[in-house]
Amino acid sequence: MDKHYLNGVTEIPDKIVGRVKESVINTFESITGKRPECLEEADMGQTMHGIIGNIAVFNPDHTLSLMLAIPKETALALSNEFVGMEIPFESDDMGDLIGEISNILAGDVAANIEKVGFRGQSSLPTATRGSDLTLFMPSKPPTKKLKFEGENGEFWVNMALSESS
Amino acid sequence: MSKIKALIVDDSKIMRSAVKRALDQLMIAEFEYVEAMDGKDALEKFEEEGGIEIMFVDWNMPNMTGVELSKAVREKGDTDHIPIIMVTAEKSMGKVDMALNEGGANEYITKPFTADKMYKTIEEYFDDDGNLLTSSGDEGEEGKSFFKNMLKT
Repeated sequence: MDKHYLNGVTEIPDKIVGRVKESVINTFESITGKRPECLEEADMGQTMHGIIGNIAVFNPDHTLSLMLAIPKETALALSNEFVGMEIPFESDDMGDLIGEISNILAGDVAANIEKVGFRGQSSLPTATRGSDLTLFMPSKPPTKKLKFEGENGEFWVNMALSESS
Repeated sequence: MSKIKALIVDDSKIMRSAVKRALDQLMIAEFEYVEAMDGKDALEKFEEEGGIEIMFVDWNMPNMTGVELSKAVREKGDTDHIPIIMVTAEKSMGKVDMALNEGGANEYITKPFTADKMYKTIEEYFDDDGNLLTSSGDEGEEGKSFFKNMLKT
């Protein structure tokens, strides 16, 4: 597949969005045993008190950035599923957990979008915790925001496609 | 039964705990754990501690990746008997191939993993009494690894 098919696109191609959606559902199902549902594109609402896992799948030409926005209640429920006990939200371990979930998600996304011509590798994850958080991309690359809901609560995945610097 | 000295390498403390918890649940052997937070730290601990008998290694880590660590351990020589199990979020077959063939790892487990998946991956390396079977590289090539068999076909 032509690796330049992503040059100059104004929207993230549906085939990439579809693969990311699939990876999010599969990743959370394998971690929690419960399959989240993807709702139609949705705003995060006003602001969020929670934690955001940041990670990217990149190659020399393009970078697909993923922001996994998890409200506090969902993060606490996920910690219960992942380690069998609730991790204090304000602890370093919570950042570690969300970073690791982002890493697992990016691994699945990287393998999945390779099937539609985007071959890349994952970056290291970072996590940001806070109140009044909003997701936005200052340089206006093509973005897509997806909302998911499951038994463990709701969360968002924001993706942005940009040329690698 | 003597304890098996296992080196657990992951930049996530949560994941190091998850690997230890899975190994303890298996009751396949008794383990003594040495932990490292990246490849560089692991290589130092490999030297300092001595006697590492099995390694569980993440791929994507700062300073030195799991594949670089695995290669560095193999290049030391006389380490072919140490099973290196990659425990990673990287899932593409290209990455699996790189870890097993270029990196010299023996097995590959993708995250998230279950204790059952861990058991099926490492059981061939232990006898019924919980002792580690020392195998040559040749035996490893003929092993039961799902990923190795996938790569061969």
